[in-house]
Amino acid sequence: MIRVALIGNPNVGKSLIFNNLTGGRAHVGNWPGKTVEKKVGKCVHKGVEMEIIDLPGVYSLTARSVDELIARDFIVEEKPDVVVDIADASNLERNLYLTVQLIELEANVVVALNKSDLAMDMGYEIDADELSRLLGVPVVPTVATTKQGMEELKDAIVKAARERKKSPLKIDYGRRAEALIERLEELIRKDPMLSQRYPTRWLAVRLLEGDEDVLRKVRGSAVWPEVAEVIR
Amino acid sequence: MSGLKAELGEEPEAYFVEKRYEFIKRVVSRVFKGKRRLTLSDLLDRVFLHRGLGIPIFLALWWALFRFTFDVSAPLSDAIDMFFGWLGDVARDGIANPWLASFVADGICAGFGSVLVFIPPIFFLFFGLAILEDSGYLARAAFVMDRALYKLGLHGRSFIPMLLGFGCNIPGVMACRTIEREEDRILTILVNPLMSCSARLPVYVLIGGAVLGAYAAAGVYSMYILGIALAVCMALLFRHTIPYFKGRRSMFIMELPVYTRPTLRSLLRHMYERGVLFLRKAGTIIFSVMVVVWFLATHPWSATAGGELVENSYVAMLGKALEPLVRPLGFDWRAVAALFFGFLAKEIVVETFGILLGVEEQALTSAIAQLFTPVTGLAFMAFTLIYMPCVATIGVIYRETNSVKWTVFTVVYGLLLAYAVAFVIVSVGHALGYP
Repeated sequence: MIRVALIGNPNVGKSLIFNNLTGGRAHVGNWPGKTVEKKVGKCVHKGVEMEIIDLPGVYSLTARSVDELIARDFIVEEKPDVVVDIADASNLERNLYLTVQLIELEANVVVALNKSDLAMDMGYEIDADELSRLLGVPVVPTVATTKQGMEELKDAIVKAARERKKSPLKIDYGRRAEALIERLEELIRKDPMLSQRYPTRWLAVRLLEGDEDVLRKVRGSAVWPEVAEVIR
Repeated sequence: MSGLKAELGEEPEAYFVEKRYEFIKRVVSRVFKGKRRLTLSDLLDRVFLHRGLGIPIFLALWWALFRFTFDVSAPLSDAIDMFFGWLGDVARDGIANPWLASFVADGICAGFGSVLVFIPPIFFLFFGLAILEDSGYLARAAFVMDRALYKLGLHGRSFIPMLLGFGCNIPGVMACRTIEREEDRILTILVNPLMSCSARLPVYVLIGGAVLGAYAAAGVYSMYILGIALAVCMALLFRHTIPYFKGRRSMFIMELPVYTRPTLRSLLRHMYERGVLFLRKAGTIIFSVMVVVWFLATHPWSATAGGELVENSYVAMLGKALEPLVRPLGFDWRAVAALFFGFLAKEIVVETFGILLGVEEQALTSAIAQLFTPVTGLAFMAFTLIYMPCVATIGVIYRETNSVKWTVFTVVYGLLLAYAVAFVIVSVGHALGYP
């Protein structure tokens, strides 16, 4: 069975896509220890069984709100087979921020470019193939309201789960920052407790950004004194 | 994180966010086919969010709101004031028992009057704010100001409350509601009373005019600058010393809503809901304190000859008891009593001096000149600016923070800071050879 997490900014049509994929049947509970609703549904596509987990709607993965922390922890700790990122085509720039963060987290991302019809109404079209090439992940145009693109999305999920390709995308943070990232990555690799659990580059960047949750995770490590020296 | 900040040239978090957006912009520019038609919202944003024009436009709009609020409401406030003054006179003439007459006229009528005069500015302010908010502009204003304020330890949205504070701290504190995160909101509330409200101006004008001579205007103006400087310093100080405010400020990720034409219905509803809240909560506090102060200023009843001789009242006793405390600042018991009344509403300081010195408005200036030297006068002005907010503001601070602790904190830090600043002014003045 393939475990698929659905993520996206608020108001992108995530619930609709969840319903389209699962036929509306969902097991509703709470995230452990949280008052945030957790929805899990099932989907069978061409004989392949999928479990669909609906993550909270978030703009980013900075772990500053409960919603962001739930979404991030699920992706980092539970490592779902595929993460479907639902992006609003009519507001692409803002939505891609989450996409980029998911790729940095080395999730197995499939982008559903939703509201494609709305973008067309506004007078433009998005080159999904070019977007896929630039991000290094599959991109499927969808219109959740009319169930357009749902079959293609399921195909892409199954394919991504089978191939497990890692996006080669690396954002260039500039010479000085890259030097720091490299030094941190070297340190992180010395501690298998860290390097086996988390993507090293993601961890390094988050350390530099001063992410409280990540700092807490690294503080317990033997390499912390050296890390602290770098991010001081 | 200071070494890292120097290495990257700015706040690390902002640096990485910017780099990601740079990448995204490049991606977006390559995947767009066709041209996105410009909407009216886009065109407005080009102007309102313009790097150079954004802030001047915001300041102009704020100024318009400010003038609208206080100019439109001023005649109404005056009318309310006059009405309760007249009602008080009627009561005084109509009630035979002098104690009861004084209680009804100076206690109840003056008390109600002092609450109700705030209603016009508050309702108009919330009406104006609702226009800016419902139209979608307020989100843009906060966005434009965020960068400058971030450096000062405040939040983008704290700008509007601070500006409103120049008119009156009450709407200033209430406007803090637009700040979502509680820590940011409370910090902005705490420093808001340092914005010199319009009620303090008469005090500056009286004292400055009496003792500063040709430098009166400069003295008055310096109070406004002093207030701003202290607000910034205090915000930074609290942010770095009080654990509650420590930690990371929320980055400013906000959705800019599409501009819409506000409906009159929703504007009126906003205005009414917020205005009534003020009446119910703060109103009861202001009113009860007014009655207490009436009592203190007119009793013991026989010693004050039925409220006529204030210098024999409890307030005067209090002033005299506290006089040793303020003697290092060069103030006497009358200044203490005036400040005590100023706690009701700062403009009352002027009227109190009038009563305590037993002179009419015209002779007041020369009488004040006897009371203060230029140095102690300036110190008194600064003290009036900084010391505890007026009772109405305190009521609203309690209401908005929903915390006795923060309310008491505001009062205590204000008093201590006022004393410290006044003391520095007096010491430096004396050291420079001024009396």
